[in-house]
Amino acid sequence: MIADLLQRAATTGLDVVPFAVPFFVLTIVIEMVWAARHDPTAYEPADTLTSLLMGLGSTIAGALVAGMIALAAGWLYAHRVATVPALWWVWIAVFFLDDFNYYLFHRAAHRVRWFWASHVNHHSSQHYNLSTALRQSWTGFPAFSFAFRIWPALFGIAPGMLLTVGAINLVYQFWIHTEAIDRMPRWFEAVMNTPSHHRVHHATNPRYLDRNYAGVFIVWDRLFRSFTPELREEPVRYGIVHQLGTFSLLTVSFHEWAAIARDLWRAPFRAKLGYLLRAPGWSHDGSRDTSDTIRARWLAQQEDR
Amino acid sequence: MSGKLVAAIATLIARPDIGPALIIGAETVVSLIIVVALYGLARALRLGGDVRIADAAHAARLAEAASTGFAAQDITLDRARIGALVRNGEGRILLIRRHGARFVGSELTSHQGIRLDRHTLTLETGDRQFGALTLDLGADAQIWAASLRRLETVDSAA
Repeated sequence: MIADLLQRAATTGLDVVPFAVPFFVLTIVIEMVWAARHDPTAYEPADTLTSLLMGLGSTIAGALVAGMIALAAGWLYAHRVATVPALWWVWIAVFFLDDFNYYLFHRAAHRVRWFWASHVNHHSSQHYNLSTALRQSWTGFPAFSFAFRIWPALFGIAPGMLLTVGAINLVYQFWIHTEAIDRMPRWFEAVMNTPSHHRVHHATNPRYLDRNYAGVFIVWDRLFRSFTPELREEPVRYGIVHQLGTFSLLTVSFHEWAAIARDLWRAPFRAKLGYLLRAPGWSHDGSRDTSDTIRARWLAQQEDR
Repeated sequence: MSGKLVAAIATLIARPDIGPALIIGAETVVSLIIVVALYGLARALRLGGDVRIADAAHAARLAEAASTGFAAQDITLDRARIGALVRNGEGRILLIRRHGARFVGSELTSHQGIRLDRHTLTLETGDRQFGALTLDLGADAQIWAASLRRLETVDSAA
């Protein structure tokens, strides 16, 4: 029966996200009650509304473009150089591979402004709770973010497998967006992405900027030296370097795209590509800060003290 | 949700000839209802609360959070403590204001849009998203207004 299910999932894809929605709703309710008792400022109703509507919009946008992404993955699979059978251990391997691809995508989403323009909305909340997990992009498709996840189809991984493991990956990442859980057992923190590791990722503190890109397994960050642990002596401040200061859905969704358009219009010709492909905050005249320059300045200040 | 609505949605989902657009439409309506319900619950639980700037040290921390390395020297809090003006040793000035249950800061780089009315000062940072903010600074309002008028002179000199 399980073999049949896996075979069917490999063929058509099994989107587990809709099945997880009741769990999402229930745990948000539980976390809100927890916040009311322990820290009412952990939630802000207007912020929550924005996050949830961003999630809803992302679902609609995803449904509208799902066919095109499936078509692209199908085209790659039709031109595959090998065929990988949907065996149980292949499923596990594909899950690891997809999580590595997520790491690559996520790192690019923070280090290349073109991808950041789509991803920034997920970081735009100054709160860190389960509703923040649902603050998802409306513009992932035009940013071509999906390209990071579908390329294995060319090497014979069935698109249905990629869809299924991608959906499981997404569902896993929901529960790590919380302050209600402090630390998991040490062995779990060593291998898996956890609320503590991901709080660091959502931080604006110079020490924590652009760290911990992992989806499910934190081992990628440890392997590629992008890991920073959460320190008790340095509480996390959430959001983005230049906080938006608004709950407007349109601003949250499109502010960075609009900023890119303005920069492309004003920049000298030779610098235009830099505003698209270099790190967020880069400028041709050095008048702005990237996460690297912010961290370097902060480190210099620490040494002076 | 009423029983009739649940039955109608169940009928819609059960129809074999239903198109994907209708499914997306029905899912969207149900999701919207859940979103509004969660928003209502957050309000009913009084989440967010009524945050204020506790004191000058709090304002200094907010300024440092808004601009890494910003070492506050002069700080004046709004009387209701919903905002503050903070200046560092280099003469840079940050405007701090409340945003929901958090605070945001933006640098004042020009005296344009600054209006003094006895004890209140209305300020614009030039950042449209940040918007304008009116602070009740008491007797300090006139002192800040005078120093803020020099902002562009400082920029020009630099």
